[in-house]
Amino acid sequence: MAVRRPWKGRIVSIKLTTISKRFGGFAALRDIDLRAHTGEFLALLGPSGSGKTTLLRIIAGLEFPDRGSVHFNGEDITQLNVAERRIGFVFQHYALFKHMTVAENVGFGLSVRPRRERPPRRAIRERAQELLDLVQLGDLGGRLPAQLSGGQRQRVALARALAVDPRLLLLDEPFGALDAKVRKELRHWLRSFHDRVGLTSIFVTHDQEEALEVADRVVVMRDGAIEQIGTPTEIYDHAVNAFVFDFVGEANRVPVVAADGHAIFRGRVLDIAAEALRGSAELCFRPHDARLGAAGDAGIPATVTTVRPREGRLRIEAEIGGLPDPLAVDVPRGAIPGPGQAITIVPTRFRLFPTSSAAEQAA
Amino acid sequence: MLALRTSRLNRGLLLAVALGFLALFLVAPLAAVFAEALAKGLGAYAAALVEPDALAAIRLTLLVAAISVPLNVAFGLAASWAIAKFEFPGKSALITLIDLPFSVSPVVSGLIYVLLFGAQGWFGPWLTAHDVEIVFAVPGIVLATIFITFPFVARELIPLMVEQARDDEEAALSLGATGWQTFRRVTLPNIRWGLLYGVLLCNARAMGEFGAVSVVSGHIRGKTNTMPLHVEILYNEYNFVAAFAVASLLALLALVTLTLKSLLEWRYGVHGKAGS
Repeated sequence: MAVRRPWKGRIVSIKLTTISKRFGGFAALRDIDLRAHTGEFLALLGPSGSGKTTLLRIIAGLEFPDRGSVHFNGEDITQLNVAERRIGFVFQHYALFKHMTVAENVGFGLSVRPRRERPPRRAIRERAQELLDLVQLGDLGGRLPAQLSGGQRQRVALARALAVDPRLLLLDEPFGALDAKVRKELRHWLRSFHDRVGLTSIFVTHDQEEALEVADRVVVMRDGAIEQIGTPTEIYDHAVNAFVFDFVGEANRVPVVAADGHAIFRGRVLDIAAEALRGSAELCFRPHDARLGAAGDAGIPATVTTVRPREGRLRIEAEIGGLPDPLAVDVPRGAIPGPGQAITIVPTRFRLFPTSSAAEQAA
Repeated sequence: MLALRTSRLNRGLLLAVALGFLALFLVAPLAAVFAEALAKGLGAYAAALVEPDALAAIRLTLLVAAISVPLNVAFGLAASWAIAKFEFPGKSALITLIDLPFSVSPVVSGLIYVLLFGAQGWFGPWLTAHDVEIVFAVPGIVLATIFITFPFVARELIPLMVEQARDDEEAALSLGATGWQTFRRVTLPNIRWGLLYGVLLCNARAMGEFGAVSVVSGHIRGKTNTMPLHVEILYNEYNFVAAFAVASLLALLALVTLTLKSLLEWRYGVHGKAGS
């Protein structure tokens, strides 16, 4: 299908400078600096309360920062309201107008233009149909939103946002209210949709899988600040701290001590170099980045609690006395130890982070 | 077995009590109104309604409702919008104040206006000097009615608007709609059934109010008599047929209101379920 690109030439780059926002005594955002390049698909990822939705709403003009500035294409638009910014916003719960048909919803943005700029009714209808075709809902223009499934409503919301030729597309938890299967489908669809229309887009999510799978770059946030910005690979493999490491994938976290260039776990010197570190540290590794060691290997001793099949491999969970959470290791199928047996876990790829604070360990 | 039989017995008993109560206190009086009104035949009934003082009372009642209902719709919309969508100091005080007319005796509500605008009242001398009549005239009746009926629309809308998230309005704004367009095309359709319901209740009360209006009206026949006041005067003059004839109009109004109200509740219920 041929895709019209009415956005060509208007697609914006975004620059946020020292954005801060308080709600009463709560600091929702603290000195946020962020850039999105033209045509980029950016994910704001973080736990609830991290400020990601507030940041999105500030970019949209639905919320205003206490401090800092927002630039589109180098132009300061901090003081413009949502209508003046010409953005498309897709709400978490779609916010479709219940009393209007799907086509009327999509055409709404055009029908509220000032009389001079308003296209004739027929043109609005045609544009709505065109957009519904684009989101593959061409036959449903006459339905009411209540008669659609969640995934269909989401796409109607998207079509409605696109109808006003936005310079930028913002999506708040776009898959949050959908069931797991539809989520996955819509995720792929949204990514390929973005590639076709090429609109600069930012979406908010608390689901790391979603962020890593859809976005060009991921912005990991916590407590109103940015922890790390990077491509999905950078974020996953080169997390800057234990929080990011833990948040973007499954993680085992083991407290160790770094001394004499090595990580030491309860007196055992591990085969893990720790040149740059000294003192207490946290050894982080993913379940698929470890193996079971032979007797005498330098590793972490643990006791198997459960063994379950998992995507072609076996997931072993093993506990270490004194640690709150069991460690998880994925191993190839075959001869494996049963529950109650002692094993040695040897991380093959890992990250070592200095222990920063008590709060960090709790998180 | 025994439990089942008792529960069946209980149910029958409860039903009998409820229906008996209904018949005695609602249906019987309603029937009595129409029976008395028609006691001397349709001719006398019609004559009582087209008599000049009765017509004046009907006109005044309609006028009062025509002024107070739109004003209270405007007030109710503004108040519920403010309460539902914004945080401001004194919000809970405003909510409490809206309920005030419900908790104050209508007679007191009427007296307030006599106290303020009567000849001996606070603004009395000034009003007399400028030749403005409020108490014992139509403006007083309108003011008292507005006061009595102002909670109806607001009370109906506040919970409805609080429940509806701001998403719909923000969506409309993000699509470039102005504040007015957002209100007219998004907010209003979302609350229309509740609003109609509130208007209906407000109107019924505006036309039927007796206490507060009685205090400020002065009961001048053909001038400051509303329908409820006219009924009372006729009744006190032992003109039962005329009194009940006018009363039957008020009863009809009540029946129409009830029917519309049930219809709305039915629509409203269906609508509520289809939404969200």
